[in-house]
Amino acid sequence: MRAGNRKAALLFVAALIPVGRLVAAPVRDGGGHVPERVRRLLLATLLHDNGPTPEVVQPADSQGHTVNPAHLDQPLQLERELRASLGKPLGATRLSVTGGSARIGHYSVGSDETIHGHVVVLEGSAEVHGRVEGNVVTLDGDITVFPGGSIIGDVLSIGGAVHKVGNGTISGTVQALEALVTPPAGPPASIMGQILRHGAGLAGLVLTLTVLGFGLVTFGRPNLEIVSDTVTHSFGRSFLAGLLGQVLVLPTFGMLVIGLALTIAGALLLPFAIAVYVLLVLVTTIGGLLAVAHAVGERITHRRMARGIVVSPNSYRYVVTGLGLVAAIWLGWVAFGWVPVAGTLMLMAAGLTTWTVATVGFGAALLSRGGIREHFAGRLIAPEMMTDEYLWATPQFGVPAVQRPPKQPE
Amino acid sequence: MRRLVLLGVVLGLHDLDPSRCSGQAMRAFSVTRPVAAERFLHVTLDFGGGTVVLVPASAGELYGLQLRYDADRSAPVQQYDARTGILHLGVASVGSMGVRVTSRAQLEQTARFEFSPDVPLALFATLGASDATIDLGGMTLTELEIRSTATHATVDFSRPTRGTCKSATFTVGAAQVDVRHLAQAGCEALRVDGGVGGASLSFDGAWRRDLSLVVDLAMGRLTLQLPRGTGVRLTGQRFLAPFDSKGFVRTGDIWTTAGYERAPHKLTVELKASMVGIDVQWIEQR
Repeated sequence: MRAGNRKAALLFVAALIPVGRLVAAPVRDGGGHVPERVRRLLLATLLHDNGPTPEVVQPADSQGHTVNPAHLDQPLQLERELRASLGKPLGATRLSVTGGSARIGHYSVGSDETIHGHVVVLEGSAEVHGRVEGNVVTLDGDITVFPGGSIIGDVLSIGGAVHKVGNGTISGTVQALEALVTPPAGPPASIMGQILRHGAGLAGLVLTLTVLGFGLVTFGRPNLEIVSDTVTHSFGRSFLAGLLGQVLVLPTFGMLVIGLALTIAGALLLPFAIAVYVLLVLVTTIGGLLAVAHAVGERITHRRMARGIVVSPNSYRYVVTGLGLVAAIWLGWVAFGWVPVAGTLMLMAAGLTTWTVATVGFGAALLSRGGIREHFAGRLIAPEMMTDEYLWATPQFGVPAVQRPPKQPE
Repeated sequence: MRRLVLLGVVLGLHDLDPSRCSGQAMRAFSVTRPVAAERFLHVTLDFGGGTVVLVPASAGELYGLQLRYDADRSAPVQQYDARTGILHLGVASVGSMGVRVTSRAQLEQTARFEFSPDVPLALFATLGASDATIDLGGMTLTELEIRSTATHATVDFSRPTRGTCKSATFTVGAAQVDVRHLAQAGCEALRVDGGVGGASLSFDGAWRRDLSLVVDLAMGRLTLQLPRGTGVRLTGQRFLAPFDSKGFVRTGDIWTTAGYERAPHKLTVELKASMVGIDVQWIEQR
């Protein structure tokens, strides 16, 4: 195999070894994680990545960077301090180490050496064949204690791993902090993407409400119409009632729970009561909203008919038309929600409008007791309207209209 | 025109891929310390959200932690004073939010704690929104307190503990705590304090001593699994806390099992419960 091919093959093998193993930095006995070490070895060999030239870091002046590795219980803070001390180029780095020394690049303690004091290694690994009486810290490098080597102190590898080979010993705490690799954030969603996402959400919501509205028209049209008429005839009153209702929802719930909990029978009913209460609030809110949509749709349809447009006036149409109008308010936000400031204002406006609609609907549902009570629906005739002429000419339920007496011959 | 619309839809859907927007930074941290001449380990453990495993450490290891945490909002904590044997271990929120969970990323955190089974251990653990599996079997426990706020915690004494355990306290917030082989804990005083949650206490296993249990629960469910033949004496105040008294004999406000005095193992239960379903299950001793 030619040299070029062999190099390519080795690079391929190195690439196959999982990268994830590199970043996980557990403490391993017996030479560390094999794939990781093989990969590092291969890459270092092939790419000639031996790191910066090993050298001693000169102490900083009195205003410069100083670290104290005597206590390694704040690894993040130490990392910040060490990274801040790195100079550009690395040879310009100045760092004072309290009770020890600092180095750049790979550092090895020989088997016949004993180092007294802390050792800080920047941008390189530390290999200990001899004895270190102090703490050892590496930034972006491993710490390896080989057979016969010993560290009498704590060790911290930032952006690397700690390995003990054979009978290499570390007497203190062994810490390894993975290098911080922030995954690149995806590009911000495009305008088209935002519009589609918001549009899909709105369409889903309107579709759901339409289905619920059709169900309500099919199975509860009288109630829906009474709530709808209450909205039409007592708009302000409905809004105030809805506002008050929203304020009182939680206190009422609390009183209900406490009241039921005080009695044995009530306590048994408590779970059901809670479920029913939540359901009632939901039904009242959604039903009220649909009733407002019904009222709005009815008004629009009648106006169109007054203009001579032929449409079929039925409750299904009213609900669809009303919901379409509410959706139209949100369409502005869907289309232009991405515009800074204006998009936020449109969102607030649409939200406020929807809240008002929901409040009115909620209040109307409360006033009409869920579409049972017609007092506020404009269906009861005021007493002052009950004139003789009205009663004479208008057939009343249960009261047969009195026939006009025949004319007396003159 | 139709092709253009389709292209727009495809491009839009491409942008909907949520994985493209993730930018959170998870970071790994590990720490171990070998056993030296320690006579005592007093551990305060904090973990906000995620998955927690706690097991006995391998021989020669005093403590260990393998952590994967949300680097944007949390920081690892490892403070050990060899002179006093006090260890603070876990994750702290960056800022002043305590162990509050403020993001989904925090729930993806994982932690594996290990403590030497040979060194006497006093463990005080606070777990936030976590899923915790804690095995204290074979450890030399002197005191245990586990506070769980919104957690499902399983605490198992899979083997009898060693040493003299003064007390074990389980504080439940809105959480479920299942304690297995509690008889093997050998703690003189057991206590369960709870807000809205559930506690299941299983007293199976080898009894090391007679036990006393205090339960103070506000709302939830308490399940006691007791081996047949255990002498149980139950006192306390109950409010809306129905109790299945099958197997008990009532004397005033005290409920005792038949043959309580002659039972080989005795459990005294003091109950303060309101709106708590109490379920006593008799199990066969294995």
